[in-house]
Amino acid sequence: MSTLPLQPSSAEPEHDQAAPHRWATLVLQAGSLLAFAAVLIFFSATAPFFLSFFNFTNVIAQSAILAILAFGMTIVIIGGGANVVTGGIDLSVAANLGLSAAVYASLIQAGHGDSTAVAATLLTGLLIGGANAFAVVIVGILPLLATLAVMNVAAGLELVLTENTVVPASSSFLMAINDAGPLGIPNLAYIVIIVAIIVTAIVQYSALGLRLYAVGEHREAARAAGLPVQRYIVGTYLASGLFAAIAAILSVAYLSGSSTGSAELLLGVVVTSLLGVVFSRRLVPTITGSLLAALFIGFLSNGFQLLNISSYWVSGVQGALILVVVAVTSILRRKET
Amino acid sequence: MAANAAAAPARSGSRADLLLRAGLPVTLLLVGLFFSFSAPSFLAPANIESVLVNNFALLAIISIAMTMAVASGGIDLSVGTALDFASLVFVSAIATGQNFYVALFGGLLAGSMAGLFNAFLIVGLGITPFLATLGTLFIGRSVQQLTTGGGIPIYLSKSKVAPESVFLGHGDLLGIATPLWIVLLVASTLAVLLRSTVFGRHVTAIGVQSTVAWYSGLPVRRNLVLVYILAAAISAIAGILLSSTVNAYVPSTGNAFLLNAIGATFIGTTIDRSGRPNILGTVLGVLLLAMVSNGLLLVGWNFYWQQVGTGALIFLVLVVTFASRRWRKVS
Repeated sequence: MSTLPLQPSSAEPEHDQAAPHRWATLVLQAGSLLAFAAVLIFFSATAPFFLSFFNFTNVIAQSAILAILAFGMTIVIIGGGANVVTGGIDLSVAANLGLSAAVYASLIQAGHGDSTAVAATLLTGLLIGGANAFAVVIVGILPLLATLAVMNVAAGLELVLTENTVVPASSSFLMAINDAGPLGIPNLAYIVIIVAIIVTAIVQYSALGLRLYAVGEHREAARAAGLPVQRYIVGTYLASGLFAAIAAILSVAYLSGSSTGSAELLLGVVVTSLLGVVFSRRLVPTITGSLLAALFIGFLSNGFQLLNISSYWVSGVQGALILVVVAVTSILRRKET
Repeated sequence: MAANAAAAPARSGSRADLLLRAGLPVTLLLVGLFFSFSAPSFLAPANIESVLVNNFALLAIISIAMTMAVASGGIDLSVGTALDFASLVFVSAIATGQNFYVALFGGLLAGSMAGLFNAFLIVGLGITPFLATLGTLFIGRSVQQLTTGGGIPIYLSKSKVAPESVFLGHGDLLGIATPLWIVLLVASTLAVLLRSTVFGRHVTAIGVQSTVAWYSGLPVRRNLVLVYILAAAISAIAGILLSSTVNAYVPSTGNAFLLNAIGATFIGTTIDRSGRPNILGTVLGVLLLAMVSNGLLLVGWNFYWQQVGTGALIFLVLVVTFASRRWRKVS
């Protein structure tokens, strides 16, 4: 069962050991891409300026932080197995972003340069990732639980550092991140695309990535094949911490300082990584899938804004979206057996 | 699922096993002793009552709801949503001049609806509990924003608050505050339900091995429906209690309890012989969290450091518990 990312409820005995039939996944994958396209077409037809180049690139830039956090989460889910309770999950990503952003902003405030701040921020992110890795791999705590505890510590440290205020920060480096680059496209959009390409290359197209999937889907088989399973899982949490720190730097640039509400991001990141599953051919978590999911959510909120639909609907639509996707997946699976 | 992984091999009676299971009570005792020496006011009756009423009662009720869901092998991320719905309907009903009991009934019903929705998603559509209740949480947030114009709280003026409500939130019985009686009532009812009834044993069987439970002819689906409705109904009680205490409904407050409730439930599994979620353990876990945050306040840590301290302590308890489990498995 562990090959299937979204398992049917435990209420049903699970007969379907086989991989899903090709047609069903094709329908689903085509369906999700069609839904994405339909949303884009709908907004293009109804919302003024939606289709403009400026708006498009802006949405990509605005989705950068969510997408990069989701990359980290996705890597953890790939390496830990997709069962959301016992498998891999990193609930500390949002709190890690908050803490790392606070470190960056505080150092800038204290008069340090960008290079010091960047180094310290990345180190902070890695330390939080390291704490997760220690708790999950060395001690053997359930990832859900371990990262929850680390999340609390990180959120507390952020409060200590910022005293729950916004620490403003500005520097030439931050301004450059937030500027428009070549062709008038925001640098944030370039950054997220470049990061996505690099991470996709490693996770989807390298031997390392293939082994990572093996570790997540068939841990015992991977171990029997001689893979250093533990080291891979440690790597996933470190990667997640690193991505949280990178997202933190982008967030400081985007908001011109640290923010107090970063914990709010967590559920969005979880939804993005899980939603990304339906954009993949084998219905497994992938980096490209997560990127598409982040953009999908970005375009959805943007379209709502342009149509003057209250933003109060956004979280409800996200919730309904994930339920529909998951329900359709599991119903398709049930039919095949 | 969670339970399988949490379940330690049951080698009851061995010394290491006892040591592990005594971990939580001993930690409680040590933390209590430490604070009573370092902060003289820690043991003052007024402080104890304040800890129990303000830091303990609501989280305890919500954690009990969480324990039900985790015991059945799932999880309920929407306990806060059920709390909010109950609070919303209860306060709105009182604000529009309804009778207290009508409002109470409406509130409990509204909260339970969240559970019914979860049950439909989990049992009816076959969505995993984590994702189903996550979806409910998101939808619940939108519902609250839409009904309150984006999150504007509803406050009750003193004249509107029913005497029953005052009793619930601020009253006492035999010198013990009403919220604590409610915790006692909910905890003992659920402890008996989970441990000593057919329903409770079925829930445990489903939590340990749902497939085996299904093949053994247990009514898995019906029991899961009941579990999620029950979890929501219990959270709804917390919602009514919260509204009665603050005389207001503040949108999306329930989620603040979510992570601590999960933490308390899993800390509580450490006292059980086979590592199962249990009501007593959960309540002790909540007590530990409440005591630490109050104690740190009294010894002069500011609010921010308290968060770090509490987080670090939970982390430590988990590390010790899981490390000793792993060590035991190896030896």
